[in-house]
Amino acid sequence: MPLDADIYGHKDAMAPSLAFSTALHAGLLACIVFLPAVLSHTGNDWGNNGSGSASGGAISANLVSGIPLPPNPHAKPENVLANDSKGLSQSLPAPAAKEDDHAIAIPDRQSKLKPQNQKPSAVAASPSRPLNAQKPSVAAPTKEKPREIAKVDNTVPFGSGGPVAGPYTTFQNGNTTGGLTFGEGGSGSFGSRFGWYTDVVARKVHQAWQSEVNPGVTSAKRVYILFDIARSGSPSNVRIEQSSGIPSLDLSAVRALQRIDTFGPLPQGYSGNYVSVEFWFDYRR
Amino acid sequence: MKRIAALSAVLLALVLPALSQDWIRTGTGVGGEKIRIAVPDFKIAREEANAAALDKTFNQVLFNDLAQAGIFDMVSKSFYPLGAIGLPADAHLDVWAAPPPNASMLAFGNLGISNGALQVQGWLFDVKNAQNPQVLAKQYRESATDDNARLIAHRFADEIIFRLGGGITGIAETKLYFVSSRTGHKEIWAMDYDGAAQHAVTHLNSISLSPRVSPDNSRIAFASFYKGGPNISIWSIELGRLLNFPAFGGTTLSPAWSSDGSHIAFSSSRSGDPEIYVCDQNGNNLKRLTAYHGPDVSPVWNPKTSAQIAWVSGRSGLPQIYTMDSDGTNVQRLTDQGYAVSPSWSPNGQFLAFAWIRHYGPGSPGASDIYVMDVASRKWVQLTHDGGRNDFPSWSPDGRHIVYQSTRGGGEQIWSMLADGSQQTQLTFSGSNSQPNWSWK
Repeated sequence: MPLDADIYGHKDAMAPSLAFSTALHAGLLACIVFLPAVLSHTGNDWGNNGSGSASGGAISANLVSGIPLPPNPHAKPENVLANDSKGLSQSLPAPAAKEDDHAIAIPDRQSKLKPQNQKPSAVAASPSRPLNAQKPSVAAPTKEKPREIAKVDNTVPFGSGGPVAGPYTTFQNGNTTGGLTFGEGGSGSFGSRFGWYTDVVARKVHQAWQSEVNPGVTSAKRVYILFDIARSGSPSNVRIEQSSGIPSLDLSAVRALQRIDTFGPLPQGYSGNYVSVEFWFDYRR
Repeated sequence: MKRIAALSAVLLALVLPALSQDWIRTGTGVGGEKIRIAVPDFKIAREEANAAALDKTFNQVLFNDLAQAGIFDMVSKSFYPLGAIGLPADAHLDVWAAPPPNASMLAFGNLGISNGALQVQGWLFDVKNAQNPQVLAKQYRESATDDNARLIAHRFADEIIFRLGGGITGIAETKLYFVSSRTGHKEIWAMDYDGAAQHAVTHLNSISLSPRVSPDNSRIAFASFYKGGPNISIWSIELGRLLNFPAFGGTTLSPAWSSDGSHIAFSSSRSGDPEIYVCDQNGNNLKRLTAYHGPDVSPVWNPKTSAQIAWVSGRSGLPQIYTMDSDGTNVQRLTDQGYAVSPSWSPNGQFLAFAWIRHYGPGSPGASDIYVMDVASRKWVQLTHDGGRNDFPSWSPDGRHIVYQSTRGGGEQIWSMLADGSQQTQLTFSGSNSQPNWSWK
């Protein structure tokens, strides 16, 4: 570079880089500010578990597919609108329309035809009737009454709808949370048909679990256990589907099931020979 | 611009999983909660002379059985909607599901008498499942007596408990055998598990102690002074008389049945020192299991396997609970202090219940209380706390109740409780009653 080179006069194209830099920093700032708020989202997620009801909130069933995929919490459960809890809002009765005493009815052109419409079948059934016996008004072409369309109302009435149904029966035991998913041979309706039985299973597993987890463990990944319930109610084929990575937690979950002799015979209305259950377990101290 | 888009995509990828996780982690101990059940009075289908009286008995027994089961939260009757429910068509589930009843389950039915036969129809409905509410439907028919009304109520309660308890065999039809001196002699008595229908079994005008009913509920083994020194006697419930059983000599006490009913273990001092012996159920093939200085008494088999025996031994001084294999090997001491007696093994073999004075001796406020120990881990828990001398625990066949003897109300009486120590209920009130034993089924 020559000594007299005009370095100050040289114009560098800084604008694009500056814009990118600003955007990057703004993004990072937003990231720092909002990420803790997002990550610490552990609040009481409404609509998942019925409050106080021993039925364990909403229940539905998923098929246990051949591939051990983690259950999809957004899977569409059955009978979303017809489960056991209340709706989200109470619908008020529509205000009764007030009749004005002084109002004079506007004569309607269609109203004249009303009585004719009620007897179209009589006309059709007796075409051979002499014309003079017919009333003149009937001679007008009979219009078919528009078919009544069923009113579609998607809002859940208060008290008869439910929360967004979670696909599990869940329970909590001190610092652990567990859940169940029922599958079976053909259809996946076991959980919704026999909700009481899924509750029995959840309660039994809950009672059988004892804290045998290594005290040094503060949190663990979710452990998935698969087992079958035979027609007689005895659990069998207990196996770890997905380990938590902590042997003592895996073992305590398996032992909880091994302590159980029977869940009671499967419901009488169920025709299958067994039902398979996926059971998960969260541990956090 | 492209780079910004890429960056925001990365940010989104970071944020989205965080939003979707934790979705299911809610709820508070739902699985451990009791089932809220409503049991409206059964409707009288046909008005007849004593239908109302039988209906009253039936309703009382059914409600009491379910309340005692320990798995239900009974909806108070004052919360029930008006109007009797006799048939499923009468049951408005939405009303029962909503507060105040807020029930999960509804047991209802009707009761009628026709041609001297008591006929009961009962249903159990899952209130929260509007589509398939029926869990259970049962029909019973017996001759119309108060006892049968009680029996049908017990059976229906057992059925409900079996379904909703996850295979818990109901105990409403089980019996309790105990020693009562209300006739002036210590005789073996029997009663229903809820204290009803108390009656004497033996009439020996002697002293009979520690009754143990056989697993098939056909015989009772007990220690008796009927023919001289205390010996094992076997009473046949079916025949109503004593069966032949050899006298082994010495002080022979505390018989116990193996879970298949083929063997009896007992304590005998025929060799001078009280030791544990085992023989066949007819008294043959006598075998001695213990050979150690100090008294060995109160054997009890592990009902699950019949391969282990727990007993009380004074070989180290004060009586302590020990276990051994049924051939006498593998002796292990379970309690480490105090004064521990009267072991009773839970039906699933997991727990031992026993009476324990943990701090025994001068200067110690020794109270005899009922304890339960997990045999594998040796962890124990105290079940009774409130004074009196509590002794002779015996497990119910469902493994969820314990009957025992207590002096908290004055004299020795029989009490029962849930196996966690709750719902303590006095069963006997007259005379002096002790050493209860719960039948096997």
